[in-house]
Amino acid sequence: MPTETDALWYKDAIIYQVHVRAFCDSNGDGIGDFRGLEQKLGYLQDLGINTLWLMPFFPSPLRDDGYDIADYFSVHPNYGTLEDFKSFLDAAHQRKIRVIIEMVMNHTSDQHPWFQESRKSTDNPRRDWYVWSDTDARYRGVRIIFVDTENSNWAWDPISKTHYWHRFFSHQPDLNFDNPVVRQEMWNIMKFWLEMGVDGFRLDAVPYLVEREGTSCENLPETHGVIKELRAKLDQYFPGKMLLAEANQWPADLRPYFGNGDEFHMAFHFPLMPRMFMGLKLEDRKPITEILQQTPNIPDVCQWCLFLRNHDELTLEMVTDMERDYMYDEYARDKSMRLNLGIRRRLAPLLDNDRRRIELMNGLLMSLPGTPIIYYGDEIGMGDNVYLGDRNGVRTPMQWDGGWDAGFSSADPESLYAALILNPIYGYQVVNVQSQRRTPHSLLSWMRRIIQVRKSSAVFGRGSIEFLYPENHRILAYIRRLGGETVLAVSNLSNSAQAVELDLRRYKGNILIEMFGRNLFPRIGDLPYLLTLGPYQFYWFRLRRL
Amino acid sequence: MRLAEESILSDQLLRQLISVGEVDVLIGLPTHNNAETVGQVVQVIRAGLLKYFPRERTAILNADGGSHDGTQDLVQAASISDARNSHTLQALRTMHCFSSRYPGEPSTGTALRTIMAAADLLRARACAVISPESNVAPEWMEVLVRPAYQQDFDFIAPVYCRHKFEGLLVTNLLYPMTRALYGCPIREPYAADFGFSGRLAAHFLTEDSWQQDVSGRGAELSLTLAAIAGGFRLQQTFLGPKGTAERQPADLVLAMRQTVGTLFASLGRYFSNWSAITEDQAVVTIGADNQVATHPMRVNRKRLLQMFRNGVGELEPILSSILSHGTLEELKHFASVQEEEFQYADELWVKTVYEFAASYQHAVISRNHIIQALVPLFRGRAYSFLLRNRETSGVEVEQQIENLCQAFERLKPYLLELWKK
Amino acid sequence: MREMIIGELSQTTQDIVRGFAHLLPRLLVMLIIVGVGLLIAYLLKAILRSILRLVKFDRLSENAGTAQLLTQAALPSSTELLGRLVFWVSWLAFILVGINALGIVSLQDDIITFFLFLPRLFVAVLILFFGMLASSFFSRAALLAAVNANLPSARLLSYLLRTIIVVLAISMAFEELGVAERTILAAFSIVFGALMFGLAIAFGLGGQHLAREALERRFSRERFIQEKKKEDELSPL
Repeated sequence: MPTETDALWYKDAIIYQVHVRAFCDSNGDGIGDFRGLEQKLGYLQDLGINTLWLMPFFPSPLRDDGYDIADYFSVHPNYGTLEDFKSFLDAAHQRKIRVIIEMVMNHTSDQHPWFQESRKSTDNPRRDWYVWSDTDARYRGVRIIFVDTENSNWAWDPISKTHYWHRFFSHQPDLNFDNPVVRQEMWNIMKFWLEMGVDGFRLDAVPYLVEREGTSCENLPETHGVIKELRAKLDQYFPGKMLLAEANQWPADLRPYFGNGDEFHMAFHFPLMPRMFMGLKLEDRKPITEILQQTPNIPDVCQWCLFLRNHDELTLEMVTDMERDYMYDEYARDKSMRLNLGIRRRLAPLLDNDRRRIELMNGLLMSLPGTPIIYYGDEIGMGDNVYLGDRNGVRTPMQWDGGWDAGFSSADPESLYAALILNPIYGYQVVNVQSQRRTPHSLLSWMRRIIQVRKSSAVFGRGSIEFLYPENHRILAYIRRLGGETVLAVSNLSNSAQAVELDLRRYKGNILIEMFGRNLFPRIGDLPYLLTLGPYQFYWFRLRRL
Repeated sequence: MRLAEESILSDQLLRQLISVGEVDVLIGLPTHNNAETVGQVVQVIRAGLLKYFPRERTAILNADGGSHDGTQDLVQAASISDARNSHTLQALRTMHCFSSRYPGEPSTGTALRTIMAAADLLRARACAVISPESNVAPEWMEVLVRPAYQQDFDFIAPVYCRHKFEGLLVTNLLYPMTRALYGCPIREPYAADFGFSGRLAAHFLTEDSWQQDVSGRGAELSLTLAAIAGGFRLQQTFLGPKGTAERQPADLVLAMRQTVGTLFASLGRYFSNWSAITEDQAVVTIGADNQVATHPMRVNRKRLLQMFRNGVGELEPILSSILSHGTLEELKHFASVQEEEFQYADELWVKTVYEFAASYQHAVISRNHIIQALVPLFRGRAYSFLLRNRETSGVEVEQQIENLCQAFERLKPYLLELWKK
Repeated sequence: MREMIIGELSQTTQDIVRGFAHLLPRLLVMLIIVGVGLLIAYLLKAILRSILRLVKFDRLSENAGTAQLLTQAALPSSTELLGRLVFWVSWLAFILVGINALGIVSLQDDIITFFLFLPRLFVAVLILFFGMLASSFFSRAALLAAVNANLPSARLLSYLLRTIIVVLAISMAFEELGVAERTILAAFSIVFGALMFGLAIAFGLGGQHLAREALERRFSRERFIQEKKKEDELSPL
């Protein structure tokens, strides 16, 4: 167990999101596994991250990359055994790395034994575990999430000859959370893993737990009731563990998921992410500052989770139509990149493999208020493959070196679970961990450095934020404060050199110390503080009064 | 005069320009005590820019001549910046809207120069100037800016829906003379609302004409003429009815000094251009054909005739040094006939104007006085026009204006002859 | 007796001849000086003309507006004018020096007085010149303004203004010359005063309406605009 017993450890976390399948294959079957992942813990520790978020590794027909679970108490044989998992977990804890796993509560696979039983007949004890209906007329008007593949939230089950409710794929029937047995079972599952030692859960698709007629069936009070119940039990039996909400909603609708500090500890800030990309393309800080202005205050014990990319498409659900069109036109001109109101690309290809922009975005990720998440492979600038279906293009094998299977596996390259990236720009011969480790100025080395700098001050994870609004709209500037510590972050969102005058009169007398090189900058006086920044450059300054 | 040019951008304005950096579209708004209307105008401009140029970098610059009624504050308040907690998620970008006081006396010339200088520094691709008292609509942004932004035009002049008796100075002198001499049928050469390209702005700034036009009057006409003479691509676009509360000089003398004076002065400057032109160039006109309104309008015709007669009588010694003997005799004759028989025919009017233009060039007396001497004669012409068109339709009026244009063209050699004397 | 007369005559004749003999060389010198002066004056005029042409003085004076003034006053161009002035002034100077060389004492004083008088004459001429120009300019301006404002008896106004300025200019010129200063001053004051008094009565009583309108125009813009609007709705632009 990590030695820090700080109950708010997640505020200082640097999370690394990884898919077991994609990271490292130890047994040569072409699929990553826990033993392989355990082998790479040294790399992760060296990178500087302190929390791992594992994507679903449960037994599953894998029709939704593991989010369709068929057994909550085991490990998919592709990835190893439960013992392998335990071994990995212990090894991670020894390296002071916490582990968060997925908890897909909203639905199961239709291959799950529960559903197999539930569909058998209306008298079955598990009948009420899912949401059945004779007609598909109930909950009319509720939006469809996977618009590219589904055209209804009801699916016809030929076995029980009734409809069942599914907010996602039709092979993922929704569980019925009005049933207390279901809720108890969910707790049992969580208890199982908590007892094993996991440090927290990412709860998938939480807004959709409960349905009610005449509503959007999202964010209902009853859903919050379920969460509160789980949280209460968690606090009682497993204090110091963390719940992270996946709720793709506007900030005002996300706020209830924190409750009064009695629901989730953390939640993803979905609306901010596309606006960071938008601000970069527009060369205007407006999208970023506006969304953060509209972000409500959350309880002190709670935390936002920030990310640039993840395993899903870059979602454009929480933007206006005009903004979506703009993002499509600027970032996904090729329609094959678009999916489900989003863009399915990795970070580096989205930013045209521009090292400066990649650094800038990571700089924002690490300095805006919240806990940052790094998606595996983005620390070396991995590319994607839009020709793999669904969102698999961003889930290709991790590129460790330029040799056999990119060091991912010893199997035949053709037998890998997904093809390696091969093109001359992003191919594994060019983009891989080994070559970047040997290069002191590689992206990987830079990521290690920025994580180090971030961890050097608690102000990033726990401090307040106050935006400055210099007249030059291409400059994003804000002050982070925690107790006596003050940090000024200034970023140039444009492709050209900029000059900016900042109103720092309140901090008059402070000396600026740039945090990467630790060099001194002039003291703040009465006049506006003039800074010049190169294209896409950013500064972090610690303010010191001596 | 170099010094005056350097100081047209105040430090504060320059700082604001640095912050804005670069824009695709700049809208200029010259003001002086327009608090009544400027707030609404800025909102409409903003709406137009958001609608037609949502992804472009845009800015609104208010060049103010020193208003005491809070005009500048109203303009600043309209800025869509993220500094105000504005929940306007409709706008993708920050739209800068800033106001600056230009040095010196309030004058449209200086305001326009400030706007041009800002356009040049901001590397704006397309710009427009909107009068704070016009009947502006969001669509104006599209029709005035798009041609310069995407279609390579340099100057977009407006065409308004006018009453047949409105703007007589334009229809009876400025338009036909500009068309005849410069070969360019720009209907409203003295326009308060127009569009132009960044290219043209850069050209204007190098023109000497700014330095010569010390008071900055008649700047709008200067711009139009410079665009025509410089061989730039022009377009006309229909904007609808002209603003009724236009800050027109109530004084005809001032109006004529600003317009006719500028026009006459330009003849000297651009002699090599207009003397060589022999035919009209076609100018693209977009939008509804200018409809002429014909609702009844109250006019004091008698007063016009009386002032004409008075003018011809009292100013005879002055007129005799300006006009030819024949023209003056004809004028004296018409000054003495009955009201109903009075007519200031096209040919006579054209000759009058041309003789005045030539005298202006030779400066037979003070040029200012030459323009003032023309005023009562114009009144006579206006009277004649009003009399003739009491009952006519819009189409007939247009035909008469066309005939007048042709008369100006026909007598162009006469002007050239007078010029060379 | 005959010898006395002849003696006196021959004495007188000798005196005269001596006088002439005394004068002739001086006369010759004077003529030489005048002749040389003429040549030098021409030379100076030519040099000045070349210099002025080189610095394009004509263009400068055109820009300054003096060229128009001269044309209106039916005078030759500035270069020519200056050239002629230089010519005449320098030749006159030489003539006077020549006369001075004659040695006629009384004349010498007069010559000095004349030389001292020259600048004042020059200034008086200038005052008259500009006075005429101003009177013509302002009277014309007044005429035009009055006609365009539809004031009655515009010509009278213009003529009055011209007279005033001319009278003023003449008075100033005479004062400068020092000719009958006090008389001129008194006469001018009387005429001018009477004129002003008459105008005050005329405008004060007869022009009340006009004065009121002018004041309204200044202090009550809206009302004025309303009233103007009542006249007609035409806008020229």
